Amino acid sequence: MNRYFRELSVTGALAIILLGLAAFAPAFFQPQPLLSLATREAPTLIVAGGMALVIITRQIDISVGSQFSVSGICAGLLAARGWPLPLVLIAAISIGALLGALNGLLVAGLRLPSIVVTLATMVTLRQGLNLVRQGEFVNLPDSIQWFGLSQAAGQWALVIFTLLFTVGLGVALRHIAAGRLVYAVGTDAEAARLAGISPQRVTFCAFVCLGGLTGLAAMMNLVQSPQIQPLSGQGMELKVIAAVVVGGVAISGGRGNLWGALAGLMLLACIAPALTHLHVEAYWEKAIQGGIILLAVMADGWRARKGGR
Amino acid sequence: MGRRPLPPVPAIIPLSPPHLSFAMKSRILRLTVAVGLILGSALSTRAAATKLVVAFLPKSKGNAYFISCKGGAEKAAKELGVELLFDGPTDSNAAKQNEIVENWITLGVDVIAVAAENKEGISTALRKAQKQGVKVVTYDADAMPDARSFFVNQATPEGIGHALMDDAARLLNQEGEFAMITATLTAANQREWQKYIEARLKEKYPKMKLVAVRPCDDLKDKAQSEATALMSAHPNLKLIMAICSPGVPGAAEAVKQAGKTGKVKVIGLGLPNENRRYVHEGVTDSVILWNTSDLGYLTIHAGVALAKDQLKKGAKEFTAGALGTFQIQGDNILLGKPFVFNKANIDQFNF
Repeated sequence: MNRYFRELSVTGALAIILLGLAAFAPAFFQPQPLLSLATREAPTLIVAGGMALVIITRQIDISVGSQFSVSGICAGLLAARGWPLPLVLIAAISIGALLGALNGLLVAGLRLPSIVVTLATMVTLRQGLNLVRQGEFVNLPDSIQWFGLSQAAGQWALVIFTLLFTVGLGVALRHIAAGRLVYAVGTDAEAARLAGISPQRVTFCAFVCLGGLTGLAAMMNLVQSPQIQPLSGQGMELKVIAAVVVGGVAISGGRGNLWGALAGLMLLACIAPALTHLHVEAYWEKAIQGGIILLAVMADGWRARKGGR
Repeated sequence: MGRRPLPPVPAIIPLSPPHLSFAMKSRILRLTVAVGLILGSALSTRAAATKLVVAFLPKSKGNAYFISCKGGAEKAAKELGVELLFDGPTDSNAAKQNEIVENWITLGVDVIAVAAENKEGISTALRKAQKQGVKVVTYDADAMPDARSFFVNQATPEGIGHALMDDAARLLNQEGEFAMITATLTAANQREWQKYIEARLKEKYPKMKLVAVRPCDDLKDKAQSEATALMSAHPNLKLIMAICSPGVPGAAEAVKQAGKTGKVKVIGLGLPNENRRYVHEGVTDSVILWNTSDLGYLTIHAGVALAKDQLKKGAKEFTAGALGTFQIQGDNILLGKPFVFNKANIDQFNF
């Protein structure tokens, strides 16, 4: 019970919000808007999975939003040139993984602090993209919309894939040797090194994974609308890191799991539509999200102190 | 008439601040002479040409919006028989704008028309240009008032607010619920527009109701999520008005995906290219902005009239060729009512 206190409390908070909405704004639970909400958040959840990996190794990557934009715009331009969907998908993932590898090399190879490295890559990638695109949208061919499926089928496919993927990644993280390495490095890099693990290699791999997943997420976003904005993904880092931290992944590394991140993301994603349904002024949205993050971090601090005693 | 007297070199020397050392003063003297020589040679080579030279500076030269402005500028230049120079930063770069203006001063152009990236930043260079006899007008984005003669104002907040509200009322027959999507709740221009929209609503359309205002952070994807929630939270919603440009296609995509095309109408402030497909599909009814080509046309006409002394401070109106007469408020030449892009005319615009 105590071990999963954080995950359970987030799930509990989510349940309270959903029950509140059921009582005061039942219109929230219409199928079409809910499916739409889930589809819109699916790419974010994929990125959150990768972010959990990186944070568990005691690093952070705040350049994911920029990676998301760059992979998405590049993939969009390729699609607009008539590349077939599978190749565009591979390109998006590769570009993301490459950008992740760059961060990984700087952090693991040169042992630079990840927050500074990824701050630099975040700004550089974003400005580079602005310079090249001047904010202009990329128009996408109709053939890649919803992977060529109908809208409803495409939405369900995205949501189900995302859930299965998250469960798969979560299980792998817990039960496969490579997954345990991530926890080992995050808990105590020196001990991991003495046990024969290369913390640098694990860290590098975590960044590459996050990059690749960000590319995949950009692709999942691409198929959802007929045009893509170069600004897309701006602010994504905040949402993803917040979801992961609220979901109980410790920013100090070594702790947390993906179902916590899933619950954290659902909780944060529900706030904006919930406020609209409850006719609350939009000013509250970010304040409430900030409050939730603060509560989560305070819970972590409280647990750490209690555990230390 | 295209030439003006060379700035008298000695007159500039006393202007150098007294605290400068002798060495520095002499360096400034040498510089001034050098600049004067360059200017002189530039002017003498031009002496043969009688054509006025008008330089047109966009915020960035690759931007489709400014290329569309340039279209109108070229038309005006041709009509007036003046030479048009078009140059600008490749990105929106304030420092690069200054550099270009400095170059134009050296070249000895007659008129400089500027869309300022940085209000204060560009003004020093523009004041210098004025001091050397160059006529300066601004368009699209103004510089400091003392750094130019006139600002060609593409749209007042009042004009935009009223145009949006009137268009919404026309589409809903002045009755029903509508919601608004803005960039951020605190952005100054958005608040200004919102203020005029709400004032117009109160004054003229008592049967219409603004049920919610939601921010989209200038993100199309967020606008889509917000619009989806707005439609489910307000089942009687008849129209979504987006007052930031990414918000219009975002709201349109939400309406389309919800299968509510035609039932929930979409209008907003935006660019034709970003909304073309939704306008053709009938999701978005109209997109409001100004006619960028007319903006370029009017700007060149105003600049040339200034150089020919046909337009003076204190004028109340100004006639620009084929487009007719424009009002002047103070030192702002008003382009007039915003332009409504709809199915019938949107394909005539590419920006």
